[in-house]
Amino acid sequence: MKKRTRKVVNTLLIEIGLILFSIFMFAPIFLAFTMSIQSPEFVFSYPPKIFPRGIHFENYLQALKIVPFLRMMWNSLIIAFFITLGKMVTGILAGYAYANFKFKGDTFTFGLIFSTLYIPAEILLIIPLFQIISKLNWVNTYQAMIIPFTASATNVFLFQQHFKTIPRDFEDAARIDGATPMQYLLKVVLPLSRPVIGGAAIINFTYAWNMYLWPMIVAMRDDMKTVQVAINMIMNAESSNNWGIIMAATMIALFPTLLLFFLLQDLFVKSLVGTGLKG
Amino acid sequence: MKKILVLMFAILVVLSFAEVKIQFWHAMGGWRIELIQGMVNDFMKANPNIKVEVQYVGSYEEILAKTVAALQAGTPPHVVQLNEISTKKMIDSGVIVPVEDMIKKDPSFDKKKLLPQVLNYYSIGGKLYSMPWNSSTPLLFYNKTMFKQAGLDPNKPPRTFSEVISYSRKLVKKDDKGNMIRTGITWPLYAWFFEQWMAEQNKLLVDNNNGRTGNPTKVMFNNEAGLKIFEFWNTLTKEGLMINTKKGDWTAARQLFISQTVGMIITSTSDVALLLSESKKQGFEIGAAYIPIPDGVQRAGVIIGGGSLWLIKQKNQAEVEAAWKLVKYLADVDPQIAWHKGTGYFPVRLDAKEKLEKEGYYKDNPLHYVAIKQLLDTIPSYATMGAVVGVFPEIRNAIDNAVEKMINGQLTPKQALEEAEREANKAIKQYF
Amino acid sequence: MRKWVPYLFILPTFLIISIFIYYPAFNSFYLSFFKVSVFGNRKMFVWFDNYIDLFSDERFVRAFSFTIVFTLVTVVVSVFLAFFIALLLNQKVPGVRLFRTFIFAPYAVSTAVAGALWGFMLNPVVGHVNYLMARLFGVQVNWITTIPYAAYAVIIAAIWKTLPFNIIFYIAGLQSIPDELVEATKLDGANVWTRTWKLTFPLLSPITYYLVIMSIISSMFQSFAIIDVMTRGGPGDYTTNIIYRIYLDGFRFSKTGPASAESVILFLIMIVVTAVYFKFGRKSVHYQ
Repeated sequence: MKKRTRKVVNTLLIEIGLILFSIFMFAPIFLAFTMSIQSPEFVFSYPPKIFPRGIHFENYLQALKIVPFLRMMWNSLIIAFFITLGKMVTGILAGYAYANFKFKGDTFTFGLIFSTLYIPAEILLIIPLFQIISKLNWVNTYQAMIIPFTASATNVFLFQQHFKTIPRDFEDAARIDGATPMQYLLKVVLPLSRPVIGGAAIINFTYAWNMYLWPMIVAMRDDMKTVQVAINMIMNAESSNNWGIIMAATMIALFPTLLLFFLLQDLFVKSLVGTGLKG
Repeated sequence: MKKILVLMFAILVVLSFAEVKIQFWHAMGGWRIELIQGMVNDFMKANPNIKVEVQYVGSYEEILAKTVAALQAGTPPHVVQLNEISTKKMIDSGVIVPVEDMIKKDPSFDKKKLLPQVLNYYSIGGKLYSMPWNSSTPLLFYNKTMFKQAGLDPNKPPRTFSEVISYSRKLVKKDDKGNMIRTGITWPLYAWFFEQWMAEQNKLLVDNNNGRTGNPTKVMFNNEAGLKIFEFWNTLTKEGLMINTKKGDWTAARQLFISQTVGMIITSTSDVALLLSESKKQGFEIGAAYIPIPDGVQRAGVIIGGGSLWLIKQKNQAEVEAAWKLVKYLADVDPQIAWHKGTGYFPVRLDAKEKLEKEGYYKDNPLHYVAIKQLLDTIPSYATMGAVVGVFPEIRNAIDNAVEKMINGQLTPKQALEEAEREANKAIKQYF
Repeated sequence: MRKWVPYLFILPTFLIISIFIYYPAFNSFYLSFFKVSVFGNRKMFVWFDNYIDLFSDERFVRAFSFTIVFTLVTVVVSVFLAFFIALLLNQKVPGVRLFRTFIFAPYAVSTAVAGALWGFMLNPVVGHVNYLMARLFGVQVNWITTIPYAAYAVIIAAIWKTLPFNIIFYIAGLQSIPDELVEATKLDGANVWTRTWKLTFPLLSPITYYLVIMSIISSMFQSFAIIDVMTRGGPGDYTTNIIYRIYLDGFRFSKTGPASAESVILFLIMIVVTAVYFKFGRKSVHYQ
């Protein structure tokens, strides 16, 4: 009896803890949501409201009208997809090399790659990078917003760390079987790395989706701009007070990333049926 | 021989009708994007061989960054809108075509038609460098309904610093726990307002006549005039009569006024329409007045803010000519009137203002009338013309930082003024 | 043939990085020895002047000290709190999937939007946080414009933003612990605390190792957007860290030379931090 109640109490405590924490994490987003469907008079009311008075979806329609929002979301989608693909491919290959091979210059080159994280690219490199893009005639193109970002030290490091945890015996067994390194990578390592691949996909997609400064500089026409630029166009610090529309735009822009997470969440979380029921 | 001449003539005719493509970058977001596109479309209808690509880029800083990037890559835009404080940078840059040069070749544009205060701001040594386009000044707005409630005369807005203080005292309201739920005044924490009060006292911001008769070498605001301003700001804050925002937060200040958390706000004239519509929604009446000034001071006037349009040098001179046509158009009477009505920025020309007056516009729009009167009543002097200095953003940042430290109790007004001066002078020395 | 495999595999990454990061970065770092005009069309070689000016500039020194505080607190809290929450989320408790999506939300938002939302909630008058505090405790604080609250505000927002990343990785790690190991310790009679600290945490050390350095990097390089939107580095330069300083000098004030110098200094600091980190880490991380 005692053990049962202890379990119930534990579960309850955990539930409460998680609820409080979730409120802390989600509250600002919830606020954004409320503001987006609120009628404009109440956005800045005192006392501040948590739940909206009535539902007004006009903000969403307005947000889509002020700028070609859907087109810009499409641009972001394409760009984020290819950046993610690029980063994963280059990151997996390089991570695998560093995890499973010892070769001349491995520490040095790894250091070089890693040190790129120490360059504040978004602030410092915009102008020189734009010159390169311009010489390649890539101004206002998808390539300009994708290709420079298809390598990532974070990915290399992540995959290297993970691949190191895969037991050596697997590799030896594969080698005995006559598998090439590429085959070993594709047939053994990757299937074992689903959680990390899922996580990396989400990280890379989110990073690409939330990029602002570079797309702002590179895109020269509205039809090539991205979703974060769209939000900024609606926001305009100078004199927009319509937070309802701004938040509606933010909500729309938030949606794909949340959706991706929701879908991929199972990849790196074993199904709850499998956990703890053994024995 | 004749055939060749005819051919050459034909080619010239064709070339003169060849389409010229130009790029126009601006920083006016929200509903103004459409407004500007409409104006540009009208321009293109009247000039079928000019194609304008309009782009809302973002803030003024982002336009500057993008322009720098584009310039270094060899594909600069043709017309850019930049804020007034970028003037010296642009003049020194070597990449612009001064508007004056275009006017000399094109007598159809009479710069004397521009409002003198606006013309003066963007001219140095009598030479106009950029085309004024979206000009504004500060204005005091106040909640008439709240004034009545608090026992203040809604037709007598405060005119001096001490009146602001005493009015604010009457507006303070606290809840049962002693928390402040309403107070006197607010304005965005921005050095622009400091500069305005220096101008009202007819004092310079930087030396060499505000940078207009020579490159500035140091700031000139560490004096009694500057101290009056800092002490006013400090007193209001310390007594809880004012709410301060973070640096440059115009939205927060407006929000405080609209939600009736404060009874008075000093903000830009370009906010008139917004404050009118929002106050209506919230159910209170607003009034406008000249900004309050230090006691015992002779009102000298205000400095314009906002931005102007710059022409960038191009390899193809035909593109510059086309860009000039666009700029001329945007500064013309009817476009200026439409621009004013749609945004609240001043019409930059006297004839536009007169046309509005004839229409009875100012009778229907008393707040706009106060705004333009304050501008036209400004006595032209180097002080009210505003400063021209390359490191203007850093000077403003120095002043903003000093104010923030002062209102946090880290510095006294005098110390704050000195620190602002120190940092600002450092920045001026490093200008390259 | 096999000898070439690793070189081939790292080639794509290297190619992209060299063209699009190293090459422009070298150009940028090179400019730290110059005074550069706003439009980049005039340059003047000034040796180490930019660096000397920085070290004698009290604002840069201030940025340096705030960076230490900001990074330390953000990283420590967001890593350890994440571990703790991941443990909770790993339990078979109703609604876990939903909790996870809620908890992930901050990561999905851009840093600028995050700053805007927190700024809104912390607004002294119409913000919810102050409203609650005022009604419950009679305390009214201007979070954004007063010392020391401005620092708390940006730190909380930064932690809020980086927690999901850490939590997800810890969950993944916890899920990969073979059940046999967990069961074995349960049989040994070890209680929850010892189990967690002596077994679970060390088992997850590769993840902790990864998350700490990633959190440091995120806090040192990506925090400028949150700071800009929430406090503009203020009041004064109270919440200005090195990366925000670089953003101000490089982007807002168009001071290319000093911004480059600051970036070089930041780069060198990080090299030192990493060198120490990797040496220390090699000893404390256990791989299977």
